[in-house]
Amino acid sequence: MKHTSTLAAWRGRLAGQIPLISLIALCILTALLTPRFLSPLNLTNILVQSSIMAVIAIGMTFVIVGGGFDLSVGSTAALAGCVASMVMLQTGITAGVVAGIMAGGAVGLVNGLVIAFLDVNPFITTLGTMVLVRGVVFLITGGAPVSGEYGLPGAFVAFGSERFLGIHLLVWVPALLLAILSFVMYATPYGRRVYATGGGREAAYLSGIPVRRVIASTYVWCGALAGLAGVMLAARLQSGQPTAGEFYELTAIAAVVLGGASLHGGEGSLYKSVIGVFIMIVLGNALNLLNVDSYWQRVAVGIVIVAAAAAERLRSRS
Amino acid sequence: MPSAISTERISKHFGANRALDQIDFDVAFGEVHALVGENGAGKSTLIRILSGVHQPDAGRILVEGKEQRFAGPHDAIAAGIVTIPQELRLVPALSIAENIALGDLPVRRFGPMALIDRGRLREQGRAVLAQLDFVPDVDCPVSRLSFAERQLVAIGRALHRECRIFILDEPTAALEQHEIERLFSVLKRMRAQGTAIIYISHELDEVVEVADRCTVLRDGRVVASARRGSFAVADLISAMTGRVQDPGGSAPRALGPTLLHMQRGNDQPVSVHAGEMIGLAGLLGSGTEAIMRGLFGVLRPDAGISVGGEPRTLRGPADAIASGIGFSPGERALGLVLNQSVRDNILLASLDQVTRNFVVDRQAGDRIAAELIDLLDIRPRRPELPVRALSGGNQQKVLLAKWLARRVRLLLLEEPTQGIDVGAKAQIHALIRDFVTRGGGALIASSDLAELARLCDAVLAVRQGAITARLDRTAGLDDATLRTAIGA
Repeated sequence: MKHTSTLAAWRGRLAGQIPLISLIALCILTALLTPRFLSPLNLTNILVQSSIMAVIAIGMTFVIVGGGFDLSVGSTAALAGCVASMVMLQTGITAGVVAGIMAGGAVGLVNGLVIAFLDVNPFITTLGTMVLVRGVVFLITGGAPVSGEYGLPGAFVAFGSERFLGIHLLVWVPALLLAILSFVMYATPYGRRVYATGGGREAAYLSGIPVRRVIASTYVWCGALAGLAGVMLAARLQSGQPTAGEFYELTAIAAVVLGGASLHGGEGSLYKSVIGVFIMIVLGNALNLLNVDSYWQRVAVGIVIVAAAAAERLRSRS
Repeated sequence: MPSAISTERISKHFGANRALDQIDFDVAFGEVHALVGENGAGKSTLIRILSGVHQPDAGRILVEGKEQRFAGPHDAIAAGIVTIPQELRLVPALSIAENIALGDLPVRRFGPMALIDRGRLREQGRAVLAQLDFVPDVDCPVSRLSFAERQLVAIGRALHRECRIFILDEPTAALEQHEIERLFSVLKRMRAQGTAIIYISHELDEVVEVADRCTVLRDGRVVASARRGSFAVADLISAMTGRVQDPGGSAPRALGPTLLHMQRGNDQPVSVHAGEMIGLAGLLGSGTEAIMRGLFGVLRPDAGISVGGEPRTLRGPADAIASGIGFSPGERALGLVLNQSVRDNILLASLDQVTRNFVVDRQAGDRIAAELIDLLDIRPRRPELPVRALSGGNQQKVLLAKWLARRVRLLLLEEPTQGIDVGAKAQIHALIRDFVTRGGGALIASSDLAELARLCDAVLAVRQGAITARLDRTAGLDDATLRTAIGA
């Protein structure tokens, strides 16, 4: 009896780590198929590529755990990158970075207020802001990249390529965020309230939780983090690109779902969402290394997303 | 004559848990066979096996004497077995007639084109429901019907499909007294027409009234089976629980200060003292829900509320909670975050209390949760288990634990024992009694008038949104007086 229950507990724990196990399996398989996968250059490449998406996915996890959805993150990242670049050229690096993050937070605040206080469907609201924000980006930039006559400040551009302890600065950002925000989600009353609100809004409301404010706050997190990701992207691209960040929202949502979060809300974790990001990036990287045709790559990625979601449903049903 | 449906030595395990152990059970055409037992006794598992949701590990199912294997619910329906669960699977936006004929809509063909034959659709709907003595406007969308009416539509749909074996799982849980009476007359008609009915209920009075035969399950085994006339409520309870029942009743208590007072217009005031249990009785839709929600700040109350002698404006649940009021809604899903753990649900309203330096003190939280799980006898004793995995009675205890953790002084309880078994019911009653003897107060809205009559010091009768009478225990309180007072 005791034995079976510990076995069941282990099975439960193992089932919770399916994203991590899949990632490891994917890495081993790719490494066996092509030795280039494990080259330091390629691994660094994967980390850097994942870093920006991880920042967005962390914000998206707040929204999805809170029972919502945000399609506007890609446009928001572009807006933040361009705003940061423009402000930076006028004043200084710090002001630029802050302006970029605040621009993202402002988009998130609009999303949050409309969704939480006007009860508009999150899908429609953020579909609207996705288009709207992209339009604003083109308006303020005239459709051209923002890099000034002599380029963005050197120290800012260096942030996109320099390393600390052998690891890119860009990679440190999501690592630090993950540590701090996981603590916020797991250990603070605010974090527990986000989970409760997403898992059962009425029950949370009847327990005295200000559910509208909690929901609005998740969009502010998501917007601000998308803004930060946009600033990181600008550093990497050495300019504010008005077309940057297209389809980022889809990759981020897919990563969060691959990480086991429920689109019904109340379930998910930041760390697993980051694992989900790695799965998406490693998969793309592996298909590239294996010289898979880029059209087929899209097909493969699509299949993986649907299959992962279906597998999750099957598991929770049994 | 062979039985309509019977099981032979059915067993079912879930992991290491044995849910059913060699169950023999049968029901004949023209018979109502009641199945009773505490939560977790195996009733639900047996029903799920009979309706094809689960497959037995061992044993056989015979339908009209022939062995059947159900790979899924579809097979059971094809064999003429229908389950009328508490959640009815009707399409709210479609009309009554469309719901009844769904999957088999009558059509008129014009060559390759098929159009729905509206006339025949209505005719079929009316004819089927007339058998049940129910004559609604069959064009009315189901979303506008009451729960009781939807239930009749669901039964009508099954009759239309010529199902002859019915499993009714807690059919009266959400019904008013007169609706229950109508359902019983429907059941008697169905029985007379030769339908086989398996009837599951926690309401043992109903079982004694309606059943021809009654089988009691305990811990996955059949512990008793008897024919009409040879079983009484007390026998059923001792068979279900394996112990002799405590008769209940309440000792007189000393009343403390007024905890809550509300006066609306010319209504009887609502006032609850420390040490007092006040009932709120009314038919469905009479306004008890609005009164409870007004007192909890969910709805703007149109009356002055004072808490602990001071006037208060409650702008939302947070205000009510801050003044020491807790509310447990009738629908448990609205009070609990089902996918979160027992522990997290218990602490849901007290996160501020267990927070030190902006961080939830896990150890303090664990300690509070463990104490309450112990005190309230919440089973299984696993604080990390998601609440959805608990039985209804244990979920109700978690709801109470949430407010005990918050140390509220006044509990607003809506249908605190609906749909839970007698054992758990007695425990919940004892817990509420214990809460008030320790200086708390409780306002209990319940459609179970016998429960209110037995438990409360006074009951307020609600009719059409107004509190029309106050009936005190000292003046004699029983469910018949209450029924008259609320106009049932």
